[in-house]
Amino acid sequence: MKTYGSEPGAPEPVQVGISEFVVRGKESTETLKSYGLGSCLAIALYDPDSGIGGLAHVMLPDGDTADGADTQPGKYADTAIRAMLRRMVEKGAAYTSVEAKIAGGSDMFEFESFGDGVGNRNVAAAKEELGKLGVPIIGEDVGGQRGRTVEFDVGTGTLQIRTADGDRGVTEL
Amino acid sequence: MKLDITALGTFYDMAREGAGLAAGRLTRMTDVETRVGITKLNFMRGSEIRTEFEDGIPKVGVRVELSGGLDGHSLILFERDAALRVVSALVEEASADEFDDMSRSAATEVGQIMNAGFIDGWADVLGTAIDVSTPEFIEGETAEPFLGDLEEAPTDDDLALLFQSQIEAVDTEIGFKHYLFPEQESMADILEQHTDDDSRGIEYDKLAGFDEMAQQGAREAASNITTLTGIDTGVQIRRLKFASLAAIPQEIDDEMLVGVAFELDGTPSGYLLFLFDEASAREVVEATIPNPPEDEFGELGESAIKELGNIMASGFIDGWANVLDTTIDHSPPEYIHDYGAAVIDPVIIGLGENQDFAFVFDTVIRSEDREFDCSIYAIPDEADLERALNNLDIEKIEDAETKADFPIDEVENA
Repeated sequence: MKTYGSEPGAPEPVQVGISEFVVRGKESTETLKSYGLGSCLAIALYDPDSGIGGLAHVMLPDGDTADGADTQPGKYADTAIRAMLRRMVEKGAAYTSVEAKIAGGSDMFEFESFGDGVGNRNVAAAKEELGKLGVPIIGEDVGGQRGRTVEFDVGTGTLQIRTADGDRGVTEL
Repeated sequence: MKLDITALGTFYDMAREGAGLAAGRLTRMTDVETRVGITKLNFMRGSEIRTEFEDGIPKVGVRVELSGGLDGHSLILFERDAALRVVSALVEEASADEFDDMSRSAATEVGQIMNAGFIDGWADVLGTAIDVSTPEFIEGETAEPFLGDLEEAPTDDDLALLFQSQIEAVDTEIGFKHYLFPEQESMADILEQHTDDDSRGIEYDKLAGFDEMAQQGAREAASNITTLTGIDTGVQIRRLKFASLAAIPQEIDDEMLVGVAFELDGTPSGYLLFLFDEASAREVVEATIPNPPEDEFGELGESAIKELGNIMASGFIDGWANVLDTTIDHSPPEYIHDYGAAVIDPVIIGLGENQDFAFVFDTVIRSEDREFDCSIYAIPDEADLERALNNLDIEKIEDAETKADFPIDEVENA
């Protein structure tokens, strides 16, 4: 979600809504948070050397064949990854040292119109795009039938994942 | 008036942009960090707007009349306490308890600058100038002082198109609402100018008529709950809104929800969800299972919720199918117990392949005498809805309206 104005003293997590992505620089102590991912996918990119990172909350797999990807690159897995990577490099990240973590992409409903799963397609698209760009996926918590809330700490590159079923508690990638 | 989806989408984006401009200006004036909450393009009946205003909280508003490129009224509404706090941030010697001349004029100034943010956004998109009257400062607790004298404010049963945005201040309680009430004729002209030549659009009257009739489905669902659980419920809120798909999950509470989802197949196809907060879902399980299990959300509870969902879905869909004179089938229920947003995002994604915006028919069923809530979201495939409504015979609605002379109060409290 877009915020306007000065940074507060004790920062609340910055909310990254559906179709949005946020990149933060190395001085940042903020965390980036996406609530209640179902079939949507959170993609965290991080350059451990420069400490620059970003989080995207994507909704659909394929922006290259869609109309609105120019104005909303954050909506699609492929275009979001490229746009976020570009923004990170502009801020001083080294392309070759960027690593990825992904979480989400559940398939909680078995509806006919969903085919092989809308969450599944998002995961596959992200993996394909990251593969093409040579960005290694160093952690993932994807699929299944439960929602997730993720919080990305740009200071450390840690992606914290909470699921709705109490048994699993909090996972850290 | 014809509603063209592309044009509505443009206006929706613009209203959201306007909210951003207004938020930015507020921040520069007060040094309060702000963020833009949800922007909605709502179709609301007068009775619903009044209910929304009548929450017992004193409010102040700054209202201007618009003319030229767009006729109507723009209103910035804030809770009275919040307005006083903003004013005290601007004017050192301002009273913290009431509005004197100085604080009133400071509040009017803030409201005016924010109104201008929204209006500048509109003028930009429309490519015309919009004239703005001198701002009026209004205090009150109900809709009357703010809207009572507006021609374009709808009567109880009239469906009005209005834009609503929320702006929140980060880390404080200060929040604002913006309402834009366009005059219908002016809105119709603007829509026409921005309509795609190839698009068929939706007749406003048909949408309004359909929405009216679709109430029957909502009432039916409420009465199903009452019959099955013995909990007295009625339809509390019904809204029809037009929103970007990405904004829809944001509106759902971040708490855990229990519910069922259905896929609809027919004209229109789409999705239908019934969602309970955990406490309400527990009530359903306890009321419908003779010896309620310890874990209400285990297998037994799940099947109880699914069963209720199935019955409600049939009632709801029959209401729609009858008006539209079509068949709509629903899938078996899919049970969910998860974070609010996670429950609805698969559906948004399902629709997202073919559309960016959706009409959401949103109903809240509530009990008068205890804490019990059920939210219903019906989100049709947009192209299907357009087709269904275009085939809808307006006479049939009028016909059905005269036949439906059952006492509404009784049904709602049944």
